[in-house]
Amino acid sequence: MEEEFLECDVLCAGGGIAGLMAAIRAAELGAKVIVVEKGNVKYSGCGRSGNDHFETYIPEIHGRDMDVFIDELLRTAKGEILIGREIYHTQFAKAFDIVQLWEKWGIPMKYKGKWEFAGHSFPGRAMTHIKYEGRLQKTILEREALERGAQIMNRVMAIDLLGNGKKICGAIATHTREDKLIIFKAKTVILATGKCSRLYPSLTPGWMFNDPHGGVQTGDGRAMAFRAGAELQNVEMPQRHIGPKYFTKFGQATWIGVLKDPHGKPVGPFVTKPDRRYGDMIMEVNKEVAEEYGRSGKGPVYMDCTDITKEDYEYMMHWMKHEGNISLLDHMKEEGIDLRKNPVEFATYPLRCGGLIVTNTKAETNIRGLYAAGDEAFGDISAAATFGWISGENAAAYAESTEVPSIKNEKDKIDENKRRIVQIRNRECGPDWEEANIALQQVMNDYAGSVRNEALLKQGLSHLRRLKEKAKTLLIARNPHEIGRCLEVLNMLDIGELVFLMALNRKETRGLHVRPDYPFTNPVLDQAHVIRMKKNKSVIEWRNY
Amino acid sequence: MPPIIDLNKCIKCGQCVDICTEDVFYGSKEGEVPTVTYPKECVHFSGCVYVCPVPGAIRLRFPLPILLVYKPE
Repeated sequence: MEEEFLECDVLCAGGGIAGLMAAIRAAELGAKVIVVEKGNVKYSGCGRSGNDHFETYIPEIHGRDMDVFIDELLRTAKGEILIGREIYHTQFAKAFDIVQLWEKWGIPMKYKGKWEFAGHSFPGRAMTHIKYEGRLQKTILEREALERGAQIMNRVMAIDLLGNGKKICGAIATHTREDKLIIFKAKTVILATGKCSRLYPSLTPGWMFNDPHGGVQTGDGRAMAFRAGAELQNVEMPQRHIGPKYFTKFGQATWIGVLKDPHGKPVGPFVTKPDRRYGDMIMEVNKEVAEEYGRSGKGPVYMDCTDITKEDYEYMMHWMKHEGNISLLDHMKEEGIDLRKNPVEFATYPLRCGGLIVTNTKAETNIRGLYAAGDEAFGDISAAATFGWISGENAAAYAESTEVPSIKNEKDKIDENKRRIVQIRNRECGPDWEEANIALQQVMNDYAGSVRNEALLKQGLSHLRRLKEKAKTLLIARNPHEIGRCLEVLNMLDIGELVFLMALNRKETRGLHVRPDYPFTNPVLDQAHVIRMKKNKSVIEWRNY
Repeated sequence: MPPIIDLNKCIKCGQCVDICTEDVFYGSKEGEVPTVTYPKECVHFSGCVYVCPVPGAIRLRFPLPILLVYKPE
């Protein structure tokens, strides 16, 4: 197997919104930056085909007290993410600067010449998100990164970090189109690989890649961070989403309609007619509403846009394109579905893995030289763009102050990764990545799903560990592409194990972590639930946000 | 099986192969009509369709399990 050695100041693992923003900022501060992206940065990450909402605080509009703005924001879906207040303060002190930068770079952040606030807000309350035309955002951010001298390596997947558990000194990556290992000697690494999308079954279990995140965000960064000694938080707290049934796509706030039952009665209390300013906030208040209606015999529920005005319909279709839902529009056209005439069924999407890599306001983890941003730390476009920028700025400053690290103590780890890949490649028969992924999804769904208890979790953990051992020793791959998929599954097996360990330790019911053996929410546990590896053992602790 | 390439229209530029993050076209050779090697890994975002310089040379056939459910008039 071929090996290549490269050196840089800042290595960005993942080239989504956060990874590219980190690269842009670090490169313009003079750092030598390399972005590794297992797909293509032009079309990777959650922002791959566009977005149309960017939350931003503008003092002239929202008033001088930022906390009033943050309080309003936490009433929306943003409130699901459990982090310290100072993180929000940092985001919103910077977000509007980023908005203006994007506008300057050619991502249209204004609508008809002004900031257009709409969606993700309650009727009569402060508006928190501006609309923007993000369809080409990835191409533009790629251009800005290249112009500043960042090097972008597509089809390269970071698979493990190098370092001694206290300080980072690089990373190992594999090429997804060639049998090649790339070893990076790096002063800093910024993890920006997104969420973990194939841990639980999709809405269409036979069609695994039908996921609104895309199919390849597989918790790579979290798994690497944990193995390297970084802290992860609340990994056991699942998240759910709501959207069009079967054709799973994000963009609930882009729909201008009313969520209704089969008899035309609105499901929520917020709107009775389509309104371009708000959408229907019931979907943010209760993402399980579609599932609950189904289960109780009141469903299905429909997104009903049939009362929409001509102007609002055109407005919605304009933003659908920028939210990245062009393929949905193509599909509706092919099928003769007209939103002015046909309500479309909405579904609660299945569980997905939550949690984050613990970072501070500088996007630093507990390991020196290791940063995390975007969905890896805490998500949405505004947070990814802002903390991507902040991580790049701090990584560049740190890189400037430190010597080029040595990787001479890392030989064992490099060899171990190499051996692992060669073994998978050389096996002639055994389970492929898909078989292992299906088995993993089964155990996650059945034993760490929407209802959990101690016996169930213990049984699931033991079964998952058996699967993990088998995957480690039996997986096969026919080519470098399948090697990438195998490594993704191995990462998800690590993450799955953490979900079980942390779910067992969270002896309460909170949000979507439902434990009938501990049915109450324990106010004392309103804290960060943190796990990390110490001397090859996982250590879990509670501490204040 | 998404995507579908029209052999008569494809100019073999490879832009779809280049842009696909899931690498559905893995193994395609430069200068040849792309091969759809991993159709089930398609995420139906239509990146390949919109990057293609020739209208109609590539399209997605949305698989039956993901058909949108709607209320007829």
